[in-house]
Amino acid sequence: MTLRQKSMTYAVVVPFAILLAFPFYFALVTMFKTNLDLANVEHSPYLYNDLEGGFHWDFWNYATTEHVRFLFEDTNYPKWLLNTLLVGAAVVGITLLLAMPAGYALARLAGGWGQTAGVGIFLIYLVPPTLLFLPLSRLITQLDLKDSLWSLILIYPSFTVPFATWLLMGFFKTIPQELEDAALVDGASRLKALYLIILPISLPGILTVVIFAFSLCVNEFIYAFTFISSSEQRTVSAGIPNDLIRGDVFFWQSLMAATLIPAIPLALLYNAFLDRFIKGFTGGAFR
Amino acid sequence: MADASDELVQESSALTRSDLLKKGTAAAFAVGMFGALPEKSFGFAGPMKFAKKQLAGDLRIMQWAHFVPAYDQWLDNTYIKRWGEANDVEVKVDHINNALLYSTAASQVAAQSGHDLFWFISPPSTFQKQVVPLNDIVQEVTKKLGPMTKVARKSTYNPKTKQFYGFPDDYAPDPVQYRRSYLQEAGVSLNTWEDLRKGAPKLKAIGHPVGLGMSNEIDSNMLLASLLYCYGGFIQNEENRIVIGQGSNRKGAIQALQVMRDIYRNGMSDEVFAWTAASNNQAFLAGRLSVALNAISIARSAENSGNTALADDTWLASIPRGPVMRLGNEHVMGVFVMWKFAKNKEAAKKYLVDQQLAYREHFIRSGYYNFPAWTGAIKGGFKEIRRMTAQDPHKPKGKYTILTTIAEKYTTNPGHPGNTTPVIDEIFQTWLLPQMFAEVAQGKMTPAEGVSAFARKANAIYRKWKNQGLV
Repeated sequence: MTLRQKSMTYAVVVPFAILLAFPFYFALVTMFKTNLDLANVEHSPYLYNDLEGGFHWDFWNYATTEHVRFLFEDTNYPKWLLNTLLVGAAVVGITLLLAMPAGYALARLAGGWGQTAGVGIFLIYLVPPTLLFLPLSRLITQLDLKDSLWSLILIYPSFTVPFATWLLMGFFKTIPQELEDAALVDGASRLKALYLIILPISLPGILTVVIFAFSLCVNEFIYAFTFISSSEQRTVSAGIPNDLIRGDVFFWQSLMAATLIPAIPLALLYNAFLDRFIKGFTGGAFR
Repeated sequence: MADASDELVQESSALTRSDLLKKGTAAAFAVGMFGALPEKSFGFAGPMKFAKKQLAGDLRIMQWAHFVPAYDQWLDNTYIKRWGEANDVEVKVDHINNALLYSTAASQVAAQSGHDLFWFISPPSTFQKQVVPLNDIVQEVTKKLGPMTKVARKSTYNPKTKQFYGFPDDYAPDPVQYRRSYLQEAGVSLNTWEDLRKGAPKLKAIGHPVGLGMSNEIDSNMLLASLLYCYGGFIQNEENRIVIGQGSNRKGAIQALQVMRDIYRNGMSDEVFAWTAASNNQAFLAGRLSVALNAISIARSAENSGNTALADDTWLASIPRGPVMRLGNEHVMGVFVMWKFAKNKEAAKKYLVDQQLAYREHFIRSGYYNFPAWTGAIKGGFKEIRRMTAQDPHKPKGKYTILTTIAEKYTTNPGHPGNTTPVIDEIFQTWLLPQMFAEVAQGKMTPAEGVSAFARKANAIYRKWKNQGLV
């Protein structure tokens, strides 16, 4: 790459990166702001200010951990994080368990109607939760799962499995049939061929499903809010807007901290597996 | 290739590091999962039981997340525990954002399952067919405390069915909150709406517009209905029939629309059409607004922010007087309903009665936000309430005294002079009032057209509820 090409690349990427990183920076600054600093519109919102609005390099003396402490000590935030993690892990497990064989069967065994069935399954993913939450609410009640994380573990696969099946189906199609045939000729059963040959090659697709399904669980609001009403059983997506917006008062610093904390590991996870993630999404694009 | 003896050796060997990690992770997950699902599994944290007592059951209550966190903490950790121990009932209060109360209630009704008691921020009369009438406990409390406030009665009583569909718990007056220095600088008075109409351009000129919402949110509903009262543009009459399109009511409504249109055009900005219930708080606390109508959450937030200049400059006043009267809606009318599917009705009723009898502490803990529905709950009534609010230590000293006057004289229910019927509730929940005011303010309709269109919709809603026998 020439210097000119490099410069052009950075000229595009750097402003874009700053733009995307800005919300993180803003949340980070705000979460440690004092009420006095935050409430004064003449103060810069991007820095820590003294009472007169001046900036000092020892900015930590003008910040406070009071609101983060409030979040961890006076709300159920640590429980929401744990609940989110548990629901996410369980749903990812269920999703993989159901979507992998389904995706494989549709890609390899279903013949001509496999593609149509795949599209049909994907369409289920597009049915909005705003339509479904009322009837599902009744179902959850009948199953006596109200106010339980099990309600989310039961319902979330209804939108993660269709998407994951469709995604994996496309991915499995990119894997040459010959590899599997060779394993079968060597005496492997179809399950063994799937386990030993297909799955290791499909790792980017599986990883994409893991990250995507987990992100959907973290972000989902309507079911989390409707099925669970006790604060200590909530996940972050429902707990934060419920407990940190009180009446018509927003607890801004705590809100910022609450949203930033789960966002950081997710962002790191995306970054760490970015190449595989892209590969997973684009794997079936041309088949 | 491994032979049989190799496999035997492998099987009998100690755990490898990889195995240990796998099994350890699985075990941790299982323990964590079951520990986090107490009521549906054999988890660590089952419901708390009182030692050596036979429980009379559980009581689940849903209410908003109060803007004073300390109030909720006291309620959850002290009050309900104390009451629960005294009554052998395991009480659990869940709190949600007030904007989500109606949708949550709708989902509970759809599922026919949910909390025993559900608290609403405004009278939820459209849910009347889903709830148990509470005449018996209203009478019980009235016997002990004297008559309830008129605002509470008209908010929760249906004269057609002769039932109290809800139990009025508390209400919050809706004062004007203003920046005294800005009003002094601009030479503006807030005594009448005409004063505000004339003063709004001056306030905008000094960079501090008026902030009166015309958006699909509860503050706008309350404010705009109040403006109609002040001009005599009542939506319904005392018999709960829609009258806004007729005679003096139509004339008053047109005048109210004209006033708001003028205040908007000369003294506000477009943001008021997209506000949420929190927006006037935020704009006021950011120092932009000169005038807003809200419960005392603005003044209290200013005090809590530590910005004494802002807090000391935030004063309270009663709603401006119109040509017909000075009267405003409550900002919050806290109404408990008990669903027909509630599981512990007896405990729920006892809880409501006991809470009202002991409301003095709730009033204090809420920072004078929650006025009791029965003024007699505070011994000495409004006289004592006035004394208490006057003692608030924040500057200017005595600024909360006016709150008592507003609560006593200038606060009414949505639907005044009638009751808060399902018609009024539906008009509020479908945001017909802010939409009418916004369309007129934006010049999409004349005030006369706005009133006519509103009256048509209101009459259609009235017919619907009349057919259901609730008006």
